[in-house]
Amino acid sequence: MNPFQSFYNMKIGVVDLSASSAEVFPLDEGWIYKHLGGAAMNAVIHSQYQGEPIVFGTGPLTGSFAPASSLMVASLKSSIFKRLCHVPLMLRTGPDMKFSGVDYLVVKGTAPEQSLLHVNHGKIQILSARNIEERTVPEAIMELRKVSPSFQSLIINGPAADRGVPYASVSIGSSGSLDKVGLASLMASKKLKGIMFGGMDGLHFNRENPDQGKELEKRISAEKNFKNRGFASVLKKLDSGKDAIKYFKAVRKKDMACYHCPSPCMTHVVFSWQSPKGEETQSSDDGLLLLDHTGYLALAKKVRKNVLPLLRSCLRFGLDPVGVAEMLREGGILPEYLDVLNGIMMEDFPSTTVAPVAKEPLEECVPPIQTWDSWEERVALAMIIGVCPIFLLRFPQITDVTLLSFICMREEDLKTLRDGLLSAISSLTPA
Amino acid sequence: MSEQVTKQEPTAEKDFSLNLEDIRPRPVEKRHLSEYFMPRRHSFILFHPDRCTGCGTCEMICSTRNTEKVAPVSASVKVVRDVKEGKNFSILCQHCRKPLCLPACPTRAIERGDDGIVRIDSLFCTDCGLCTMACPAAAPIRDPGSREIHKCDLCEGDPLCVKHCPENALTFTRGKAFRWIKGLRWTSQFLSFLLLVIIFIGTFCYFKAGSVSFACPTGTLQNIASTGAIVLVGVSSALFLLALTIVAGRFFCGWVCPFGFVLDLVDKMIPRRIGWPSLLKSRMTKYGVLAGAVGGSYALSFQVFCTVCPIGTLCRSYGVQSFFKSAELAIVPALASLEIGQRRAWCRYFCPVGAVLGLTALLRMVKIVIGAKKCKKFSCIQCAEVCPVGIIDADELRAGISPKVSMTECIMCMRCIDRCPYDAAKIRFRWQKAVPGEVRI
Repeated sequence: MNPFQSFYNMKIGVVDLSASSAEVFPLDEGWIYKHLGGAAMNAVIHSQYQGEPIVFGTGPLTGSFAPASSLMVASLKSSIFKRLCHVPLMLRTGPDMKFSGVDYLVVKGTAPEQSLLHVNHGKIQILSARNIEERTVPEAIMELRKVSPSFQSLIINGPAADRGVPYASVSIGSSGSLDKVGLASLMASKKLKGIMFGGMDGLHFNRENPDQGKELEKRISAEKNFKNRGFASVLKKLDSGKDAIKYFKAVRKKDMACYHCPSPCMTHVVFSWQSPKGEETQSSDDGLLLLDHTGYLALAKKVRKNVLPLLRSCLRFGLDPVGVAEMLREGGILPEYLDVLNGIMMEDFPSTTVAPVAKEPLEECVPPIQTWDSWEERVALAMIIGVCPIFLLRFPQITDVTLLSFICMREEDLKTLRDGLLSAISSLTPA
Repeated sequence: MSEQVTKQEPTAEKDFSLNLEDIRPRPVEKRHLSEYFMPRRHSFILFHPDRCTGCGTCEMICSTRNTEKVAPVSASVKVVRDVKEGKNFSILCQHCRKPLCLPACPTRAIERGDDGIVRIDSLFCTDCGLCTMACPAAAPIRDPGSREIHKCDLCEGDPLCVKHCPENALTFTRGKAFRWIKGLRWTSQFLSFLLLVIIFIGTFCYFKAGSVSFACPTGTLQNIASTGAIVLVGVSSALFLLALTIVAGRFFCGWVCPFGFVLDLVDKMIPRRIGWPSLLKSRMTKYGVLAGAVGGSYALSFQVFCTVCPIGTLCRSYGVQSFFKSAELAIVPALASLEIGQRRAWCRYFCPVGAVLGLTALLRMVKIVIGAKKCKKFSCIQCAEVCPVGIIDADELRAGISPKVSMTECIMCMRCIDRCPYDAAKIRFRWQKAVPGEVRI
């Protein structure tokens, strides 16, 4: 019996934007056994296609009852790092892609006009995105809710990517993402505005998984780490993160979690700020989901107390806060910062410009919390299996065997899976 | 509804159109005799928005029961995430005592079981969706995939969503079969009635036993006005009730007043109210009545209002010895009949005793607070519904604003506290600022 039948639809969608064709093929079972899924599988799929493809892939546990099973990985040849890079996409996109009937999605070629993909019921539709071109992320989502087929979640590019700004970053809903390797730019170069997931099919499930998940949750809830939650708990573990916490201490906040995560690491903040355009009288309340730890930190270092309104503007335009922070000077005032931001948006960037942001691609995406022997291996495990890497870094007691036991309980099968997993991890991590 | 029926695989051939022959007559509601004394249990799931992180585990686990798949869109519970405000709300069947979905269903596929659970019988359900429109909380949810209607059936008394919620944002309550505040209040009211009306006749107006004396404060005011003399014993006798009001608000009106007890009894007997003219809806009227009573007593040199006071006449005229011997007998039924218009109409608009206590309650030590943020988004507003003096603003609750409860009007019956399923209504000291649910997370 195939242990993966409860975890995969065993389908891969291939979209050729140049030919405006979208097809769904059965997934090779042998590949799954060999590479398990996620980033490892993406790398193999990426090598099979020409024309700078982007591969969106889920892990075997994505959408399952394993805790924090929210991860989808986008793999692409980064124009910044000049090699294959993986972007972790959290919140609900991973599970929703699986619930839409596709486990992997390859996008290749370039569309003749701005396009959107809609994935549902195991089918992929290519739609025109002309009506949302150049619109801010929240505006575009609102428009899509009105006119497009219904969707549960989406990945979308903001106006920054449309205008070829090198600091563009893809956005999951209106919450931003951890894209710091140029996913948004590559999508924009393919004239791919976004991908919507209908998520209406669901996935067969292993009947033992809910209890296993509950048991694991109970185990980790006894840990000290479990009580330290929210965006601040991760910031505290980073260099100079403690100082940056104060900028959102006084605002109304609420911890938020990705799909099926028992220990939230994001925080929604509602803050007031004075709009520089409307003089002193105009102030407004704005909400913002803080999920990008490195982005927040980079911006907070430069703009200090103005970090929240500026981060909000970055998310609206679909800009990477780390890249934007590079352009700002310390000790400025909010109107000045917003002017710089508008300048970035208005400037006609040559397509060859790249963002001077990252040192190591994954370190830019996932904060380097040192709780495990090897940060790289831990993150690689998460990126393959489909569980949030930040969650796994926070709870080092969750081992690879614990996670694999969700797929299979039999000892000999577990051993085979583990061997496959370890080789997949070693293929992702540098020697 | 059997398990077998619930777990039927959705078929593509199912006809979702509603035909005339589908419409079934509504069965006669049978009520067991015991239900008159002990209401049916009200089992439902409470949602705590302050705890919910929006992880969607409830949707996941619920969908596995509905469809044998992990498909959050097919769940009977929905988590609505407000991106701007950062608030999460659940859409979940509250298994109302009088469900609106039940009469809306043309095929009578919805029924409320003896266990208080409102279920959809999929054998009769034609998926017409009228229940989704009738429900104020939009709890019956149409599965966008199969187009079938799903509704929470509390997993037959053991809800999976409650068991699996990592934040304990959902709690299952089997309802309060016996509300202890209600029990205490009725006991207190009955004993007070027994003592003041049946046993110690006329003691409410003035009572003296040795050095201890008690007097009605309104009567004392009228006495001072009519005689023009301040008798220290009389004034000190009236202080007892005023002191009680300073400590516990208008506790007397809700827990002791014998006429209030009569009004509460009458209230139980009235099947339908006819409403109250808006011209007479001023709560200031009772202060006018008080001023008139004192002024009239001064002018006529006798205690004018005491002759028609319903509390006084009840205590004086309805005792064992004086039953049916007084012309004052008509006053109590006449004023009690105001209940046909509005609950506790006398207390709200006319009672001068309440007016004196209301003025004294300006110095009260306690207050009732209702934290709207502890309620659901679709507020159940049960507190507003049970409040006999109608001082809880349901519209404010619906808008998510904690209503200001006027303590000069509140009779401290504590029905709101007793009824609130979210523990959002509390007694607080006057100087305490925190409202339930409004502490910073």
